[in-house]
Amino acid sequence: MTTQSITPNTLGDAALTEPKAVRWLLSGLALTFLILFLVVPLVAVFVQALEKGVDTYWAAIIEPDALAAIRLTLIAAGVSVPLNLVFGIAAAWAITKFKFRGKAFLITLIDLPFSVSPVISGFIYVLLFGLQGWLGPWLKAHDIQLIFAVPGIVLATIFVTFPFVARELIPLMQAQGTEEEEAALVLGASGWQIFFRVTLPNVIWGVLYGVILCNARAMGEFGAVSVVSGHIRGLTNTLPLHVEILYNEYNFAAAFAVATLLALLAILTLVAKALLEKKVRHAVKSATKPIGVE
Amino acid sequence: MGIQIQNISKQFGNYTALDQIDLTVPSGELVALLGPSGSGKTTLLRIIAGLETPDTGTIHFDGEETTQRKVRERQVGFVFQHYALFRHMTVFDNIAFGMTVKPRAERPGKAQISARVHELLGLIQLDNLVDRYPAQLSGGQRQRVALARALATEPKVLLLDEPFGALDAKVRQELRRWLRKLHDEIHVTSVFVTHDQEEALEVADRVVVMNQAKVEQVGTPEEVYDRPANPFVYGFLGNVNLFHCRGNESGGQHGESTFPVDSDGVNIGYVRPGDIRILRRAESAADIAAEVIFIQGAGALPRVELRRVDNGETVHAELPREQYRQLALKIGEQVYIQPTNIRVFVPDYQI
Amino acid sequence: MIAIKQRGVLPGFGLAMGFTILYLSLIVLIPLSSLLFKTATLSWVDFWGTVASARVLASFRLTFGAALIAALINGVFGLLVAWVLVRYKIPGKRIIDALVDLPFALPTAVAGITLAGLYSSNGWIGRFIEPLGLKIAYTPLGIMVAMTFIGIPFVVRTVQPVLEDLEKELEEAAACLGANRWQTFVRVIFPAITPALLTGFALAYARAIGEYGSVIFIAGNMPMVSEITPLLIITKLEQYDYAGATAIASVMLLFSFLILLSINLVQWWSRRHAER
Repeated sequence: MTTQSITPNTLGDAALTEPKAVRWLLSGLALTFLILFLVVPLVAVFVQALEKGVDTYWAAIIEPDALAAIRLTLIAAGVSVPLNLVFGIAAAWAITKFKFRGKAFLITLIDLPFSVSPVISGFIYVLLFGLQGWLGPWLKAHDIQLIFAVPGIVLATIFVTFPFVARELIPLMQAQGTEEEEAALVLGASGWQIFFRVTLPNVIWGVLYGVILCNARAMGEFGAVSVVSGHIRGLTNTLPLHVEILYNEYNFAAAFAVATLLALLAILTLVAKALLEKKVRHAVKSATKPIGVE
Repeated sequence: MGIQIQNISKQFGNYTALDQIDLTVPSGELVALLGPSGSGKTTLLRIIAGLETPDTGTIHFDGEETTQRKVRERQVGFVFQHYALFRHMTVFDNIAFGMTVKPRAERPGKAQISARVHELLGLIQLDNLVDRYPAQLSGGQRQRVALARALATEPKVLLLDEPFGALDAKVRQELRRWLRKLHDEIHVTSVFVTHDQEEALEVADRVVVMNQAKVEQVGTPEEVYDRPANPFVYGFLGNVNLFHCRGNESGGQHGESTFPVDSDGVNIGYVRPGDIRILRRAESAADIAAEVIFIQGAGALPRVELRRVDNGETVHAELPREQYRQLALKIGEQVYIQPTNIRVFVPDYQI
Repeated sequence: MIAIKQRGVLPGFGLAMGFTILYLSLIVLIPLSSLLFKTATLSWVDFWGTVASARVLASFRLTFGAALIAALINGVFGLLVAWVLVRYKIPGKRIIDALVDLPFALPTAVAGITLAGLYSSNGWIGRFIEPLGLKIAYTPLGIMVAMTFIGIPFVVRTVQPVLEDLEKELEEAAACLGANRWQTFVRVIFPAITPALLTGFALAYARAIGEYGSVIFIAGNMPMVSEITPLLIITKLEQYDYAGATAIASVMLLFSFLILLSINLVQWWSRRHAER
């Protein structure tokens, strides 16, 4: 049965909205704020990058150190995103499909990296693996260098992007409940069959959404990586660190040129996010309203 | 295949869902678990399916212990309350799912699967919707697809959790009769959960009335309706009028009915609205004077509400249309009522 | 703690839970506890000597203060933006809506150098403000600007869904009962969105306190004047003063956890309120 609503969807009724002047004023204020704080900076990145011409721009990007930074950024994201993806799925499966005590506490622990300052996120790995750290002497004796080297950068990146996939999936899978999985179980499906054929197709957009956010942060992380990186050009510099070095050398055009790569990543992320958001929301909505209830 | 349930108990924290349940479901029967919400009926159904593990007790399928057996090895069909159709799969894929997840050695071929799906689609009369997604189906259609999906793997037992709960009244009626007919055709042992007594009485071969984690009565629909074991069953299966009777009032007798009284000589007589006769003139001293206070003449059984003159209690009566027309009652009129088929329950004793 | 007693019949609990706990411990819990252990090895005198030193105290004042103002600005404008996005028809709404997340998506270093450029004396914005006698870049004001930037999405994204799900009937009922628009907002709408607003505010505050990348370029980083706490930790680290860095970091961490706790309390409280 479809229920027909008598009330119009638009807020046309004078009693239910503000006078036109107020609406204009509020919209204007909000837009001004957003333009000043978001649009202007975004435009400024590209303008400053191209200020000295396309040639300078291009030279800054294909310079070997920049390419090395791109490579390292891809490695850091390439390792941390899949790991956190597997973790996010495992955690969401355990948390949403089973009942156990301490669930809320576990979720809080998973969210923990979000409430830790990026600088501290890097610092804890220095404390653990650095020369003065707990495992430092042992690592030194075995000639393993984690801190001020690529593994440290990867570890710090994993830490700061740790919750992304899990926190996207947990509410989604919670809303979808366990009925479909139980139905598959009764019909004789094995655990992996249930996961790949019933659960995953239902949350695939949520997974993708989490991965995109995770990737954006992994490629853009600055503070945590800065602490554990040795800041060695061409070796332990990610793209954001390379931007910093160029900027501190007053090589503004080059700094902004490299920054445009990251800004483009941000724009792509926003576009993908906006496209996926609808699908994820739809998945949650259709899940909270179980099919069959009319 | 018959199901033997022995001494099943289940606690959720401090809440007792099932308290030492014993029950036998004979092979090939359609059995209703009937009870108010919270009576434990859904938990019992899920324990039979293996979706819930009992704290104590055993389940046997045809004498074979299945309590420890995994859900996927029990070969039960389960129809979920909200159907739990796989929302990203078509009707075809939903019905075929159980066959396609079988181990490779047992898995039927593509052609076989397709043939079986179409056979089931014929059974549920939805041949033309094979490529639809669940979201594109009506509630009744989803319900039937869920049933076909459960039947596709030829389960030994079919379990249905509130199968018509989410449907509107008319579709419900239709599906109910359809399920009864279907069961007469395929004869798979079936258990369904419902809180709707009409549904249980109409569809089931046998009704299990449950309340507060216990089984109150098991019997055919006629048995539980006409010979309820206790006041709860009586009250749950239909509307009821209470007559407070004193043993000395008519010596444990009311009209032609006799009934026992407890030690205080007090008891309550239970009378269905349909068993109240309305008379223009008193036929005996036992007839009770009452005033008509409300009439609802529409519907298959017109309902009349009366207020007893002696103690002001309200009595509900239902009478056949024919009689209703003859009586031509008006609000405010005084008439006489004659309760028939009075049932009285004394603790641990029943007539 | 987490009592691992399986409830439910679906497979895979052991594997999923085992991996979750292992990975969580290796990546988050053990590294974080290394900070706690290190703090425990500090003597009280060392700890206090670091934390109560004038330079550290100045950085706390600056960081927590600027973050507070930035979070307040975001509280006001975030609510405004959420309101306009949910309630009004404005052109390009979808683009604007997507753009709100820019501070999440834009790497902080990029935001940092861009803001520093914009607000410096010859930048697009700075050149108009400087003649008014107001210097933003390389002053505490600049820190506030950067902290405001990175906090924008928090309030908008927490308030927006609540505003969307708000039953229209509530407002219709208020209107029918004779309330004017302002009364309806203050007495019906605002109480309903307060928990979300508080949560968003706290999230923005926590983020601003810990922020590093977008702030350091515009901050000027003058000790006692415009040096934020995270930078001070890095400075100590570069001087191999691990004890000092640990002391400051533990104070910051404690603060973050307190904010996290208060967010949970707000949500717990509002849930309880909603259930009644």
